[in-house]
Parts: sequence; structure tokens; C-alpha cells
Amino acid sequence: MAIAQLLVEVLALGAAYALVALGFVLILNATGAVNFAQGDLVMAGGFGAVLLADRLHVSGLVLLPALLAGMAVLGVVVALAAYMPLRRRPPEAVFISTIAVGIILQNVANRLFGAEPVATPPLFGAGRVRFAGVDASVQSVAIIGVAALLIAALYTLFTHTQFGRRLRATAYDRDMAMAIGIPVDRMIAGTFAVAAALAGAAGLLLSNTFFVTPSSGSDYMIKAYIAVVIGGWGSIRGAVAGALLIAAFEVLYPSLPLLVPALLWMPSSDAVFSQTTSTIVLDVAVLLILVVRPQGLFGEAARQRP
Amino acid sequence: MTLLSIEALEVRYGAVPALRGVSVTVGAGEAVALLGANGAGKSTLMKAVIGLVRPAAGRILFDGRPLEGLRADRRARMGVGYCPEGRRVFAGMTVRENLLVACWGGGRQRAQRIDAMFAMFPALAARQGVLAWQLSGGQQQMLAIGRSLMDAPRLLLLDEPSLGLSPLLTDEVLGRIPAIVAGGTAVLLAEQNAAKALGVCSRGVVLKLGQVAAEGRAADLAASDEVRAAFLGG
Repeated sequence: MAIAQLLVEVLALGAAYALVALGFVLILNATGAVNFAQGDLVMAGGFGAVLLADRLHVSGLVLLPALLAGMAVLGVVVALAAYMPLRRRPPEAVFISTIAVGIILQNVANRLFGAEPVATPPLFGAGRVRFAGVDASVQSVAIIGVAALLIAALYTLFTHTQFGRRLRATAYDRDMAMAIGIPVDRMIAGTFAVAAALAGAAGLLLSNTFFVTPSSGSDYMIKAYIAVVIGGWGSIRGAVAGALLIAAFEVLYPSLPLLVPALLWMPSSDAVFSQTTSTIVLDVAVLLILVVRPQGLFGEAARQRP
Repeated sequence: MTLLSIEALEVRYGAVPALRGVSVTVGAGEAVALLGANGAGKSTLMKAVIGLVRPAAGRILFDGRPLEGLRADRRARMGVGYCPEGRRVFAGMTVRENLLVACWGGGRQRAQRIDAMFAMFPALAARQGVLAWQLSGGQQQMLAIGRSLMDAPRLLLLDEPSLGLSPLLTDEVLGRIPAIVAGGTAVLLAEQNAAKALGVCSRGVVLKLGQVAAEGRAADLAASDEVRAAFLGG
């Protein structure tokens, strides 16, 4: 059941990427601005989890609520420092200021934790589980569960609470939202809080396997960006789908020789199916998608009634 | 009792004056028509009251309190409802969500108000799960009005509700105004269609090039030459 096993890995990686991409797209919709610190918030979440684990000696799942709360506060700080002073300027200004936030986060992390890679605690524990003939790591299954729970919670927040509806109204039409009594600046700070919490959760989920260093944010940033571009700029569902597609590619492409043994006879198949080549092929695939469908795979060309 | 009092209001867009010394009052429980051709300053006046444009001079008092320095969300919470020109419904939210998001009461109050809106606009009740951008123009207008009433405002600023609607739908939408007033909400109605607006309001004010050109009782204005002149660009 090699394929089923790989699919578990795809889902786990994709679900974690989806959290990053969702945070990115929420801020994009609420402010029209690109938050280039989203990847570094993942890194901050990873280190935050390491810090909490050192103090509390508990599993990742137990420290998740504290991490979410801490990251939400950090998100508000980012909003106050990098967005609010520039909210009446063109979105490019926020693009630059969030790059600055990212650099600051990287340097703070470097100072506090050093450049050595560290791992976050696992959600439950190490080991593997078997069910229905599939053998998967406990961590992968737990990642899928936690990410699915967070995405479900996010969905409930946005569709079933007044706070969530107000966040969405602010994203659709800021002046109109204000005119029905919504304090839009607070809503935007709230959006940054949610986005940072999601990034922080992803940092906890991903850094057990992939470790965290002060510079690991840029990789996640690029993946979130690609997920949102191929999913359709501004589309929430597209962001999730894009994240899953990227994960599928990253997991399945290097494993192709395992699935199709004939490929092993290709000249220099090691190099062709290496991680490095995988990144190149992904980037080329993204360019091709944009040539064929500039609005992304799930983007709608227009949402206006004629 | 005067609910809204606009005194010598001046608004400029850059160097271009949009309103020049305009004074308008709306009493509690009154419907006032704000008439004038395109570009006369009706929408600007509405935006100045809700707080989406900043006046260069003049005062706006709501219920005796000056609104200067208050952001639009504060004014809305004080009881000023705003239904903008062009509807501006929240496109990707459902009809029901568009209404719910505009109510600041608790769950029970939200349910009551939403029932009241569906009673006023039965066409919306049948489409409450539909995304707002999928509605027809007339339904979007009803939704925009319903949204502006969800927090039971004491004053409703209703900007060009007939824009883009058929005469039949215009009558249907404007025909709701007496019921809105009877429900305790005063209305300031901006309209290009003077005859129809004066038919549902008790008083009217005519704006021309950013100044008050005429005002008076609806019946008098409807018969006046000045009103005709203002609309025929004389």
C-alpha cells in the first residue's frame, strides 16, 4: 500500500501548508495587501512551540492553545506596527513593511535561538499506526486531524459568528462595513491575529519533521504564495486546494521511481527525481498554469452580475 | 423635534466644491426628499452625514449631538442607517448573512429583525441562502435597504434607491418608505425621480450645483416651476 501511505503524507503536508496559505489569503482579502511576513510567522510559531515545550514539558497538542493565543497577540502587534500606519497608502507599502517585519522576526529568532535547526515536539508522540492496511506515522495522522480541526473552526468562525461575518464584510467593502457600524481597524487587527495563529499552528505541525531555523520562513512564504496564485488570488477554497496540490507534487514527484520502477532505468534518474529538481519542476508548472489560466485554477474571472 | 440638523455644510473634492453652505433638517418620524440632478451633491451630503467624506466647514447634529470627529462606525451605532447609491451589498455573503452582519443586538433580536425584513421584502425570504451578487438588481436594492434597517436606526439615509430599476420596481421600493417611517425611522431620500420621491415624503429639498435651490412641503414642490427648472437644467 505504498500509494495509500504516500497519500497520508500528502494530506499531512498539504493540510499544514493550507494553514499558512489561508492566513495569507485572509489578510490579502481584508487589506488588499500581501503579508510577506506570513512565512516568518510560521518560523516564529515553530520557535514559540519549542520554547513552550522546554518550559512546560508537554506534547504539542497540549501546548497548541497557548501557541495559538500567543501567535494571535503577535499578529495584532504586526498589524499595529506594519499595517495601521500605512493603511491609507498603496498596498505596496504594506508589502514592504511586512518584509521588514519578516527580517526583524528572523533576527530576533537568530539572537534568541541561534541558527541551529531544532525540532518542535510531536503532537501526540512518535511511533506509527496501522489502520486498514496503511502504515503511517502518528505525527502525520495527528497533523491531518489538527489541521482539519483548525480549518473547520475557521469555517465556523466565518459563517456562524457575528465576529466572523464582520471580518468578511470588512474584506468585501471596508467603507460599507464602517457604515453599518463595524470598527474596521479592529477587524483588520483581528484578521492578522487569525492569520498569525494559523501560521503558528503550521510552524508547530511542520517543524517536528522539517525542523525550524531562523531562515526557514521564506520557503513557507513561497509555498503559500504559489498555493494562492494557482488556487486563484483571493480564493479561500483555492488556497486550500493549491496547498494540497503543492504537497502532492512535493511528496509524489521524488517518489515516482518507487511507484513506477521503469523510471529507475532512466539515465541519471537520481538527479531527475531529486528534491532540487522537484522544486524546479514545480516552479515551471506554476508558470505554465499561469500562462494557461491567469486567474488560477479555481479563480473566477468575474464575480459581478452584468 | 429635529433629529438631523445640517448647518451651512461645505464639502470639497480637492479644489472642486461639491456642497456650498447647505442646510437641511429632518425631524423625527419625518420623510424628506432630497432632490436634484446628477451631480447636484445629494450623494455627497449623504456621505457627509454617515461620515464617509469629511466636510470643509459647517456642522452636522444628530439628535442634538455634533457628529464632527466621529468615524462612520460610531455614527452608525448612534442610529444613523446608510443605504448607499449602487447598493454595495457584500457580494460573496448570502442574503441572510448580509442582514445578520448589520445587526448589533443579541441572537433573539437578530432573529426578530430578520423576520421583520423578510416580512417587508418577501422576495428576499425566498432567496435567503443565495449569494448577494447573484440577486437581481431590484432584489439587491431591497437587500441593501433591509441591511440598513437591521439595527433599527432612527434615521435612514437612502441614496438613489431607484437607480437602475424598472418603474414598477421603483414603485415597489419607494412604496416601502411610509412603512419604514411608521416603524419609527425617519428617512432622508435622495432621488432623481422627483415626482415619485415627493409622493412618499412630506417635505422636499432641491439641490442644484451644491446649493439649496428650493425647499418646502412635498405638495407645493411637486407643483413648483423651480423644481422643474432644477431637473431640466434651467
